[in-house]
This record gives sequence, C-alpha cells and structure tokens, in this order.
Amino acid sequence: MSELVDGFLANAEAAGCRTHLGAGSDLAELPTVRATYALADTGSVVFAPSAEQGRVDWLDAETLVALVPADRIVPGLDELFAAVRERMPSALTIVTGPSRTADIEQTLVVGVHGPRVLHVVVLEG
Amino acid sequence: MTAERLAQPAERFREAARRSLADGHRQAALDSGTERLLTGRLHAWGALDDAQGLRDRAREIRTRTIDELELHLATFTRSVEGLGGHVQVCSTPADACAYVTEVCGRADARLVAKSKSMATEEIGLNDALEAAGLRVVETDLGEYLIQLAGGHPEHIVAPAIDRTREDAAIALSAAGDRPVEPEMDQLMLAARRQLREVFRTADVGITGANFAVAETGSICLVTNEGNADLVTALPQVHVVILGMERLVPTLAELVPLVRLLGRSGTGEQLTTYTTLLTGPRREGERDGPEELHVVVLDNGRSKLRGTRYREMLNCIRCGACLNVCPIYRKTGGAAYGPVYSGPMGAVLVPLLTGLEHAPSLPHASSLCGACTDACPVGIPLHELLIDLRRDLVEQGVASRRERLALTLWSYAWSTSAGYRISTRLARLGLPLGGLAGPGRTWAAARALPRLARTRFRDRR
Repeated sequence: MSELVDGFLANAEAAGCRTHLGAGSDLAELPTVRATYALADTGSVVFAPSAEQGRVDWLDAETLVALVPADRIVPGLDELFAAVRERMPSALTIVTGPSRTADIEQTLVVGVHGPRVLHVVVLEG
Repeated sequence: MTAERLAQPAERFREAARRSLADGHRQAALDSGTERLLTGRLHAWGALDDAQGLRDRAREIRTRTIDELELHLATFTRSVEGLGGHVQVCSTPADACAYVTEVCGRADARLVAKSKSMATEEIGLNDALEAAGLRVVETDLGEYLIQLAGGHPEHIVAPAIDRTREDAAIALSAAGDRPVEPEMDQLMLAARRQLREVFRTADVGITGANFAVAETGSICLVTNEGNADLVTALPQVHVVILGMERLVPTLAELVPLVRLLGRSGTGEQLTTYTTLLTGPRREGERDGPEELHVVVLDNGRSKLRGTRYREMLNCIRCGACLNVCPIYRKTGGAAYGPVYSGPMGAVLVPLLTGLEHAPSLPHASSLCGACTDACPVGIPLHELLIDLRRDLVEQGVASRRERLALTLWSYAWSTSAGYRISTRLARLGLPLGGLAGPGRTWAAARALPRLARTRFRDRR
C-alpha cells in the first residue's frame, strides 16, 4: 500500500504537480475535486463526474486541489481499466500534471486551458 | 471533394518546397521544433524496459483489429447506441460534412467549438460549417493561431511548428480587445481568456478521436492542453469525427496504444489529459453533452484493406516520422498539401486521393528509412513509398519525360556498347552544365558527382 502511495507522490511531483501527504489547511480555500482513482506509475489523477462534481470542476480553476484517497491508488492503466470496465462513467479523465502546451516554439508553458497549478493531496486511512 | 482537398499537384509541391528552403526564419523554426520533438521521443522510449515488445504488441493489435474491422465496428455501434448515442458511417467527406451540418442545424447552433482533429481537416469540415453560416473556433492553441492568421497545420501534432511567439502575439492582439506582448505567459493568458468565452457559449463541440473502444463504446481523446475536455463538457451536443481505422476492441488493448502515442508524439509517458467519453450525459450529472453523434469516416480507408498498403491503416498519427524525416525537416508541411505531411502523409495522401492528384509525394523521401525506424506501430513507410513509385510508373502517372528517360537509360545500359557510349557522353555533357533534357530538372536540385578524368576501363 505505502509503496503505491510513495510511487504516486514521486511521479506526480515529476509530472509537475505539487504533492502533499494529508490535507494541509493552507489549501482549504482553493477549488477542490475528488479523484476517483490515481495511477502510481505515471503520477496521474483520475476524475469522473458524479452528482457532486461536474467535468468543469476539474478544468476551470487556475489552481486546483485534487484529493486522492490512498486506497484508490492503483499501479497503472491496466488496473484502472480493469476496475472501471464493467461500469464505465460517462467521462473518465486521466490527468498527468498541469494543463500544458508547447505549441509556440515548442516551448513548454502551463495553464493554457486547465489548471496552471495542480495540487494533489493523498488522504490516508 | 477529397481530391480537391488533399490534392497536391507536382508544381505546387515544388513551389512550396522552394519557398520553404528560401525562408531562413522558417528553416530555423522547423529545425528546432522537430529536434525537440524527436529528442523527447528518444528520451521517453529510452525509459521503457521493453520498447520493442510494446511496439510488437501495438502492431499486432492494430493489424488484427483492421482485419476484423466489421466485427468491431458493429460492437462499437451497439455499445454507443445502447448508451443513447448515434453512429453514422459516412463514405465520403461530402456525406460527413452534410451530416454534421444537419446536426448543427437541428440544434439551432451558431457557435461551434472544435478540438484539433486531422480527420476534420481531411474532410474540410470548417469550410462546410462556415458555408452554412456557423462560426467555428479551433481551441487547440496552435490550431487557434493558424485559424486567426490563416493557413493550414504544418505538422499533424504541432500544427504551428513554423510560427514564433511574435507571430502569436500579432494574431492574439488582433483577435482580442487589448494588445498582447510576445511573452509566453502573456500569450497563454490571452488565449485562455479568449477561448474561455468560446467554451462557455458554444452550442456544439466537435472533436476527432484518437481511438474508439468497441466493447465500451468509448471515445478516447488525448490533449496536453485539456481543450478536448472543455469542448465536450459544456456544449449541449458533441460530434465526433472518427477515422474508421481507429477502433480498438477492448480497454485492455487501448493501454499499449495510448502509452505509445504519448511517448512517440511528444515524449511523454502519458499525454496530460487522456480522456474516455462513454455515451452522453447521464441522469443526475451536472454537465456533459445531452446529445452524442459519432461520424465514422471511411473516405477511401476501407478500400486499402487487403492491399499491400493495408499497414498504413495502422497509423496512430503520432507524428514521429515527420520529426526524423530529412525532407519534412526542410520543406515543412505545406509542401505535402493542407492536411497530412511527412512520410505518413506522403504515403496516405496518394492512397486516399489517387496518385494522379499527388504525384510528387512518393518522391518526397530520401528512402533513408528513418521513418520506418521511428514508427511506433512498425509501418514500413519507406518501403510503401517505393511501392507507390512503382505504381506511378505502372499506372502511367509518371510524366512522359520521366518514363522516356528511364526507358532510354534501361535500354542504353542493357548492352555493353550502350554503357560505353553513355559514360563517354557523360564526360562530354558535364562540363556543358549538367544533364540535358529530361534529367535537367532532377539535376537542378542536386550536386552531381564529379567523374574521373579517365574512365577506369581506359586506364592501362
């Protein structure tokens, strides 16, 4: 279990996220969404719509906090797809780092459409 | 219509290539752009434990799926319809454009937001919708800049590869209500502001599809910007233009393909936003389209099955072959026509539009094979280009002068006397300014080898 958490945090950091273990009070004011899964091998957070949150909620904010329950972290895409296959949500969005583009001069810049800053918070227990 | 859209007559190819070579600014942009993309790809592939294994698996999945396409298309259609979506197979660009225009009309649409899609470029969808009175806005940053400034995508993955931040500042300043400095952050914020309004007010969202999963009826879209997600979150209608060959039977088989696409396209383990959309909005959800239409585009694809070009249908449009191609890196995309470019374009365009409409493209290669090495699904691109060159001659598409030159050459060199005379003539001809007759066009763009003063056979 903690191996998945460690792997997820390290890879999310490498993908350009700001990572936290346990909710910090300094993020309390920011727009927050709940991840339905997370992938350890790429540091991705996975979102799906529910009665509480729409698609726009993980796309609109310039700074976004994604809450990831530790028991929702799976090793990678294979395990994610195996878990959702029987009941595919209408949208399953796998987000790896902040929104980015290299369309101008192939220079990487973040935040063209989605979040410029993506915090991921792993919630244990 | 296809012919008009994809066609690239020989003289247009030459003219576009010449213009590109003479433009130092563009040469520098192409050089650094392709270099960055290809370095990223090599780095990402280097990090894989078993790159060849992944490539073999992807090739096997693509080949098998296309062999059994009817089966998977039927499953896909059943899955989408079961979720309340619509599937329409269109065999020509005109059919596809008419269907989409009709959907927009029924929705009383005025504004259409688009996510980058080469399939929509292929069918000329924007022109068709604009002719019907709709406003169409591209939301991928590169495509948006091209739309503002006028022009066509120069690269299938990085459409604005030839444009600088100054070009972007001019386009965004003219489109908005305030001047934008050529600073990356400012450009980003200006584009974000301008396109937010489009996402919020669009009536219809149009996307392509990187893949479609038959068993679940899912459309897979990958973007780094997240624009495909916004295009499909707010508008009431979502229209997908799906190249019929992009089907994948199962979710499990999608895994190697998306992993390869991110690594080969932009050098990432996974593209930032990898999204699976399965049916329209469901009961109780806050957003997402009420209506979903999937246009399955044939446009000459099904007739390639069972031919020696069938492997071209395996292409996942990653752009890796463009970045390594010594011809593309000099000419850029314009030489290949308005849609597909590089080695994949040089093979695909003549196949879709007919060799007679793109006779130069099979020659737009040094046959070095770098494209074949780079291809994540193992398409033997340079071999297909040789096959197309053979077709050019066999179908009588090659120019009469070219065929005459080759006939004379093969006739002359089939006897020892002919060979002797030809080498003597070459010694006479070279000092007079190169080849004469049909060979002159060929020689004009090349440095001819210097011949030895005395022929080897004449040395005693």
